[in-house]
Amino acid sequence: MDQDVASATAGDVRAFEQLYRAHLPRVHSLVRRMAGGRDTDELTQDVFVRVWQKLGTFRGDSAFATWLHRLAVNVVIEKFRADALRRRRRSDDESVFDRLAAPRQSGDVSMDFEAALEKLPDGAREIFVLHDVEGYKHHEIATMLGISAGTSKAQLHRARMMLRRHLNARCGV
Amino acid sequence: MNLPKGSSMDAYTDRLSEYLDDEDLDSLDRARIEDHLDTCSACRAVLAELRDVSARAGTLTDGAPAADLWPGVVARIATIPIGRPAARRISFTVPQLVAASLALMLLTGVMVWVARIGGTRVDIEPMAAAPGGDPRFTPAVEIADFADVSFDAAIADLEKALAAGRDTLDPQTVRVLEENLRAIDRAIDQSRQALIDDPANLFLNTHLAAARQRKLALLRSATALATKG
Repeated sequence: MDQDVASATAGDVRAFEQLYRAHLPRVHSLVRRMAGGRDTDELTQDVFVRVWQKLGTFRGDSAFATWLHRLAVNVVIEKFRADALRRRRRSDDESVFDRLAAPRQSGDVSMDFEAALEKLPDGAREIFVLHDVEGYKHHEIATMLGISAGTSKAQLHRARMMLRRHLNARCGV
Repeated sequence: MNLPKGSSMDAYTDRLSEYLDDEDLDSLDRARIEDHLDTCSACRAVLAELRDVSARAGTLTDGAPAADLWPGVVARIATIPIGRPAARRISFTVPQLVAASLALMLLTGVMVWVARIGGTRVDIEPMAAAPGGDPRFTPAVEIADFADVSFDAAIADLEKALAAGRDTLDPQTVRVLEENLRAIDRAIDQSRQALIDDPANLFLNTHLAAARQRKLALLRSATALATKG
């Protein structure tokens, strides 16, 4: 892997493809969850194009995967910042409770959970993914998103409460 | 934000995620939430469910996209230079460069004016060349050679090297560099013109030699920066 990073940094497209193949599932899933399933393939390509452009700035201070995932998060955030529609969707959308209260009964709990995740309001979903799926701390999320740590905590709690309803409804509680 | 004693159940519920994550929750709030949980089964149930939600998030599996995205990626990166940092561009602040340029032009003008009006004049008596090149007859000041082939060749080489590497320099730097070179060229021309009328003028000869050295030094520095970038 390290050799692939070094070769790709020197302009070796085949080495870069190895990196792409190795990290694609993780990056694609991260992007899909953060973006709520919208433009996932296009955003994933944007991430790898950005990685190619920025490879020379990777100094090995962190693991390559960590650097790449952080870059992927930034690509999604930048994309959404430019999306005016998202601004409206970020606002409190209480109808999400209705949508989440009627989960699909696919028989696959994991898929149902992913589907419920996609239906969350953008702000709550982003923070839930960053915190509970990706493992970022509130102060890190606050820095990435340009919000306060308190807002991050509130949105996370909101997302969990919505998903809790979803899980309860699925179990017939 | 501290929970006042006797807070409502909603107030406690709203803090359950914080309690669960144990990030930045102060000890007083933690103690109050724990006291409340001891007596409130509904909040204990909510906490368990929140824990379940968070735990599920940690078990999600990653999946590759249905379509192969690589052709799209490779098509896009084909138009982008290889993934290394952009060549380091050397730049100076504009005020620095402008100030240097103005100072150089001012110095040149003053020196030429001084030389023409009241500069030290050294009359060098014609001397017969001593057999064997007696060093005693070596002039104290070397009279500038207006057609210095080695100087011109060195300048030409440096200009060629600079032209090859100028793309690595900041455009603003290149612009001001060229202005400085033009200013030095003007100084050289003025000195040469003045020396036609007064070839033995010590000051003018010194000034011409200094201007040439400045040009060489500037070109060497710029070429070094360009090739380093």
